[in-house]
Amino acid sequence: MARWRYLLQEAFIGLRRNLMMTFAVILSVTVSLTLLGASLLLSDQVDLATDDWVGRVEVSIFLCDGRVCPAITPEQQDELREELEAQEVVAEVFYESKQEAYERFTELFADQPSLVESIDPDILPASFRVRLENPNLFNVIADQFGAFPGVEEIVDQREVLNQFLRFTNVVRNAALVVAAIQLIAAGVLIANTIRVAAFARREQTSIMRLVGASNWYIRLPFVLEGVIAGLVGALVSWGLLYATVPRVAGNLAQDIELMPFIGVAQVLAIGPWLLIAGTGIAAVASVLALRRFLDV
Amino acid sequence: MIRLQNVTKTYKRGGDDEVVALKDVSLEVNKGEFVFVVGPSGSGKSTFMKLLTREQLPDDGNIWVAGKNLASLRAWKVPVLRREIGYVFQDFKLLPNKSVYENVAFALEVIGKGRREIDKRVPEVLELVGLTEKSRAQPHELSGGQQQRVSVARAFVNNPRILLCDEPTGNLDPSTSIGIMKLLDRINRTGATVVMATHDQHIVDSMRRRVIELENGIVVRDQTRGVYGYGN
Repeated sequence: MARWRYLLQEAFIGLRRNLMMTFAVILSVTVSLTLLGASLLLSDQVDLATDDWVGRVEVSIFLCDGRVCPAITPEQQDELREELEAQEVVAEVFYESKQEAYERFTELFADQPSLVESIDPDILPASFRVRLENPNLFNVIADQFGAFPGVEEIVDQREVLNQFLRFTNVVRNAALVVAAIQLIAAGVLIANTIRVAAFARREQTSIMRLVGASNWYIRLPFVLEGVIAGLVGALVSWGLLYATVPRVAGNLAQDIELMPFIGVAQVLAIGPWLLIAGTGIAAVASVLALRRFLDV
Repeated sequence: MIRLQNVTKTYKRGGDDEVVALKDVSLEVNKGEFVFVVGPSGSGKSTFMKLLTREQLPDDGNIWVAGKNLASLRAWKVPVLRREIGYVFQDFKLLPNKSVYENVAFALEVIGKGRREIDKRVPEVLELVGLTEKSRAQPHELSGGQQQRVSVARAFVNNPRILLCDEPTGNLDPSTSIGIMKLLDRINRTGATVVMATHDQHIVDSMRRRVIELENGIVVRDQTRGVYGYGN
């Protein structure tokens, strides 16, 4: 008990003695962990949206309307439908007429009237929209029906999704890289702060060494000093994310009904990771800083 | 209690330039002895003291302190060795923000002793050094001699078997020094082995104890009941 009181007391003395440094350390840990947390949450968001979409992703089989290939006959169309429905991998088949395609288009781009006006209602092809039991089996459909008479093109909508995912991955990775760099910078700052603290108390530590204090007893106050600063930084960044992310996601959810959004639960879930990262980097930086400085 | 066997220690000073601090030194100090280590600056006194506390390791030879072979002593066991050794510095090295009592208690706290033992042992040792009245004073309120008494109390509070004193009277005037020597003598009589590195001719001459004289890293004299030097 008395030991821990001593160790914590020494750590807080160190933190107070150099308030500016402590503030700088907490700030830099906060910035880096907020970025880290944001990228983790972005990744959560993407997973959430992907899960939701994958279930809805369809294969579009566009039908010939005579522009690039001979228009599909009603018999061919019925046959195609029957063949599709007979497939084991197919869960559902919908037919979308030219008119319906146009309506969906106008709906999708309702806020861009000039784009809608430039499109002739007749130009969008009719299609069979096929939902698969397993979206990964797109090739089965593509191979089998690509050459079917009256089929113009088969498009895997997953491709569209993949493009979106590639984009969000780039954003997320960029955030991760920046977060990692910031975290390293925070680590260097912590190491430097601890070195300064150890230097300021070198008299005390030299006495401790000569009266036979164990190594960890000499070092722990300094390590604790770093870890406490790291912990505070982590808590602040968690608080920042908690205060902003659910609100932003909520606002987006009102505007974009296309996909589900992350909420408080996800922000709470990343908390432990932020704490581990914050205290971990601080502990490692402190121990490294002390490695040569306080050797027996 | 202390045994050096063919101990050599050299310091590298950039490039191939080497300084020999101790050269093939062998000596033995028995339990309960009082030994002066004398010699001019750079004769190897400091190195000798640093080897005993294992702040440094010899390049060659063996050292035993309190039954431990320092060459083979694991780094994590060094603190155990140092708990057997009290160390008194020339410049006292008291912590300025702690009272006399806290400075002495500090040596016990940091080796994990409990409150009860500390509260029992610290007043005892403060009485031994004659500073019971000053236990709540801050170091800057004390004279040099009193500060050195605190330093001795801190070194001795854990009942070490060996007391190493590095020029303990170096910063004190002669009359104050005599007081410190009486104190060290009293501690020696309790059974502790005392090794004292010093320049102080008067003290060495008046105490008539064993004198080991170093010069350029070699023991040039080892005399029971000696004096500081022949012609000086």
